[in-house]
Amino acid sequence: MVTMETYPIEIGGVTRHVPLHEPFPGVRIPLVDFLGDIEFVRAVTSELEPKMPSGADLIVTVETSSIPLAHELAASRDLNYIVVRKRRRPYMVDPIIQEVESLTLGAGEVLWLDRRYTERILNKNVVLVMDVVASGGTMRALERVVNRAGGKVAARMAGFHQGNGAEGIATAAELPLL
Amino acid sequence: MKSYPIEIGGVRRELPVVQVGDGVAVALLNLLGDTELTEAVAAEMAQRLPKQVEVLVTPEVKAVPLAHALSNRTGLPYIVARKTAKPYMIQPVTREVLSITTGKPQLLVLDGADIAKIKGRKVAIVDDVVSTGSTLKGLRELIESVGGEVSAVMAVFTEGTPRDDVIALGHLPLFNPEEA
Repeated sequence: MVTMETYPIEIGGVTRHVPLHEPFPGVRIPLVDFLGDIEFVRAVTSELEPKMPSGADLIVTVETSSIPLAHELAASRDLNYIVVRKRRRPYMVDPIIQEVESLTLGAGEVLWLDRRYTERILNKNVVLVMDVVASGGTMRALERVVNRAGGKVAARMAGFHQGNGAEGIATAAELPLL
Repeated sequence: MKSYPIEIGGVRRELPVVQVGDGVAVALLNLLGDTELTEAVAAEMAQRLPKQVEVLVTPEVKAVPLAHALSNRTGLPYIVARKTAKPYMIQPVTREVLSITTGKPQLLVLDGADIAKIKGRKVAIVDDVVSTGSTLKGLRELIESVGGEVSAVMAVFTEGTPRDDVIALGHLPLFNPEEA
């Protein structure tokens, strides 16, 4: 049997004992997973929804693990959302291509948005939604995608934040670096 | 640009017809971001879901909101088969399939931590569009290899050749590229 250390996270009465991931020796981070966990996504949505600005027109998120949270937040306000992709898809036409500047990942990740979605972003009040924000690099890249599409970022929201790169991001809770 | 009209549970959409490879164009369904359509699909699918199903398994990425919404309505847990193994996964199990949209080999990965939720259970595979069925075949093999029993395949649409092994809400034709 593998024994695994876990860390308890409690949101709105829902507790998850999440595994600890060690990305570098000596640094362990609690690993939150929204995929497949309806109850947890609902609890985080209940915390975040009141922090969403009233004039929000649209949610923009990035694939994949943030999708359930974006869907749930969007459904709570009868909004739609747009998923920015991390890989080019064959059907994309003249996509917006935005590199993620990341201190930790080295080789930069790239965000892709099909140009056909930009007319839905133009002049709209956009709420950026992610599951977990660490350095904030992906969130900043997402903001650039929205700005390049002519949208205005009304709020930046994340289920959780860990580390110190999240000025101006509304969260449900803080996660420690252990 | 040509489009193809669909209607599910009173929700209508015009799907863009786009070329995805040499000599073939498809009507592009994208549930990502379309909350209203996703919820309408989930409502219809929940009625057709066989009663014995205990857990839903869906391939990353486009069917994730649907699995989430269907799980919301049925109370059944769902598991996402990822396209890449993640560093935090515990003893992941993988299968390679050929993707129709990219024409490239595509990995399907189950986190070892999710296998206990599949083993000995009756599984419904949930996907957006089943076309050649190569993803479906790979996912079925993957589920069976970890001891799950695939008792239903649920899709919004079948595409190309109609098939009777999938519970679908509708069917999409394939198009000539000249129509895209």
